[in-house]
Amino acid sequence: MSRKQLDTSLLTLAALVAFGLPLVVTSPTYLQILILLFFYAYLTTAWNLVGGFAGVLPLGHSVFVGIGAYTSTILTLQYGVSPWIGMLLGGVLAAVVGVVIGLPTFRMRGAYFCLCTIAFAEGIRVMVENIDYLGPLHVNGPRGLLIPLKEASFWHYQFMSKLPYYYIILVMLLVVLALTWFISRSKIGYYLAAGGEEPEAAAALGVNVANCKLLAMALSCFFTALAGTFYAQLMLYFYPKGLMGLDLSFEIAFIALIGGRGTIAGPVIGALVLRPLNEFTRIYLSDMLPGLHLVIFGLILILVMLYKPQGLTAPLAAAYDRLARRITRDTTPKGEAA
Amino acid sequence: MKTGLKGSLLTCCLGAALGLALAASPAFAADKVVKIGNVEPLSGPSASVGVQGKQAREMAVEEINAAGGIKSLGGAKLELVYADSKSDPTVGVTETERLINTEKVNLMTGCWNSAVTYPATQVAERYGIPFVVPVAVRDTITERGFKNVFRVAAKDSWWVRDQFRFLKDMQDETGVKLKTIAFVFENGDWGTGFAEKWRELAKKDGYQVVLDEPYPSTATDLTPVVTKLKSANPDIVLLVSNAADAILLTNTMAEMQVKPKVVLASGGGHADPKFLENTGDTAYGLFDEVEWNTDVNKPGAKETNAKFKKKYGYDLTGESVDAYAAMYVIADALERAGSTDPAKVRDALAATKLTTGPAMIVSYDGVEFDKNGQNTNAGIVIVQVAKVDGKPERVTVWPKAARRAGYTPVFPANK
Repeated sequence: MSRKQLDTSLLTLAALVAFGLPLVVTSPTYLQILILLFFYAYLTTAWNLVGGFAGVLPLGHSVFVGIGAYTSTILTLQYGVSPWIGMLLGGVLAAVVGVVIGLPTFRMRGAYFCLCTIAFAEGIRVMVENIDYLGPLHVNGPRGLLIPLKEASFWHYQFMSKLPYYYIILVMLLVVLALTWFISRSKIGYYLAAGGEEPEAAAALGVNVANCKLLAMALSCFFTALAGTFYAQLMLYFYPKGLMGLDLSFEIAFIALIGGRGTIAGPVIGALVLRPLNEFTRIYLSDMLPGLHLVIFGLILILVMLYKPQGLTAPLAAAYDRLARRITRDTTPKGEAA
Repeated sequence: MKTGLKGSLLTCCLGAALGLALAASPAFAADKVVKIGNVEPLSGPSASVGVQGKQAREMAVEEINAAGGIKSLGGAKLELVYADSKSDPTVGVTETERLINTEKVNLMTGCWNSAVTYPATQVAERYGIPFVVPVAVRDTITERGFKNVFRVAAKDSWWVRDQFRFLKDMQDETGVKLKTIAFVFENGDWGTGFAEKWRELAKKDGYQVVLDEPYPSTATDLTPVVTKLKSANPDIVLLVSNAADAILLTNTMAEMQVKPKVVLASGGGHADPKFLENTGDTAYGLFDEVEWNTDVNKPGAKETNAKFKKKYGYDLTGESVDAYAAMYVIADALERAGSTDPAKVRDALAATKLTTGPAMIVSYDGVEFDKNGQNTNAGIVIVQVAKVDGKPERVTVWPKAARRAGYTPVFPANK
């Protein structure tokens, strides 16, 4: 068996497992946990387009989740537009806002960029919390929006069972993973990596670093906003503090840092580690100490940063590489590290 | 970046293992138990009211179980399953889903915060699980045509409705005629909401509005407001205030000798214990609005409060009385349903007509739900600050059925 065959068959197996999982997991509660796991993996993968490959650390992505959720929900509530259409419009709007935010902030380096994205995100959240009506649009301030129950149908984006939600988010995750894979092997991917590490050197070689970053930002914001609509339709309720707050932005960054920034599998691995942890600490430890899961997150982050600063993906990938080489009896060392 | 892809294989294998582990969820409990899911803020900013509600429910459930449980279900015992909402709507929704799907609760109750109750009741509606809301005041909770949501306590707009009912009843009772009215309120969501309804009802009842004055609740000097009040010279002043401004307003009015015939507040800052500590004699005669007061003249109220105080060390509050009563409403419905089938329990709840029993320590006369699930009898209590044993105390005066025995309200409070 060649290495390529091994990789492909394992990938196929993984996809089959993901698609077949609901045959085994029938409890809606656990299905919900898996849905949220994929949801965070998806969000982090979308974030990774700019936060990983472009080498900057944006900490305000929850705003784009909010833009997605508000756009589709307001359009549904007030104009009867299907959330599917609202989802795409929300994505486009988020991409535009992302570019507008990116234009001035991408000039900044390191912590300054981080702080700037936080400021933008918090500013927009506070504004939303203080707006009841934006022109004809009913934003409903801090109370948030409730999507009324409708008959379950694909067009309404509402289902009685958790199963359709599971497959929707799974497909979304696969799409964004495929896009990441494609970008990472394209010219833009290399430009981004170069611009992220050595912007001056890259510019000297004729790479238009700023444009590449803006493109990455637009894509990242677009996909992040799609998740906002998904979340709104899953929960049928959201409010600014819960959806657009820093907690969500930080959790995305946590997952990326622990899983491995700038790798394809990193967000998925990070979500796999952190999401179940979050759910179970909430259910079983919540009366012990509020916010305990954040303490545990912090501890894990410290440990990972101390011992595996590149995230958990690198050592896992290396281990897999060793194993695969033993299986395929391939002696040529692989040049690439995650 | 090939290795990234390889990593995702591992990921998915791990996912499969996790799924298998999760699928082995525990089978549900033995029969003869009716499980009631209860989402409350047990940590976070409203934890103290959440714990009060939890303890009131516990006491009611202990009493119901000790009296033989649900007899039509072969003496089935009630069992409360708690979940912490942290006052966070998202957590409340997730926990409601978990209680219904994993814990397989037969009924739901909670959640105190309007913001949590609003979406959580929609989850229950979706699954067809009856949800008894003891207290959460947002009007719209029982205005969505839901079939499975039942609210025991009064809703927001009824607070204003009962203020005007009180004014009318007291004028009929005493023969005093009041004509002019002034609105003074904090300019936030709460105050402006009240004022909107005041204007409507004042017009309907034929009062002449002589002042309509919002003020910022952070103000450190309210002399301008009181000056306006003095020159408008109304018979009635309606107030919505937070704690600090309630104190400031009352003391400034006393200093400037502004003495309207009736001053009627809307709970909140006026119901805060700090209010009476800091106003002293200047608050006498003031009327205020609350859900319940320890002295309500209802059979069993005193005994139940004494029992609760002995058990937990503090008095029952409006919220905890509603929580306590709600458990009896649930027990009554289960008794009549003779089944734990959600649809049957729902129908029994909809047909509730509870006018006797321990639940009737509430200030109103019964529990009966309209087609939206709102208790049509629910109401508010008006208290008057009076000197009892040389100390200012809040004495129940309205509704008349709940008035403290032997107390005659001073109405108007000033000539």
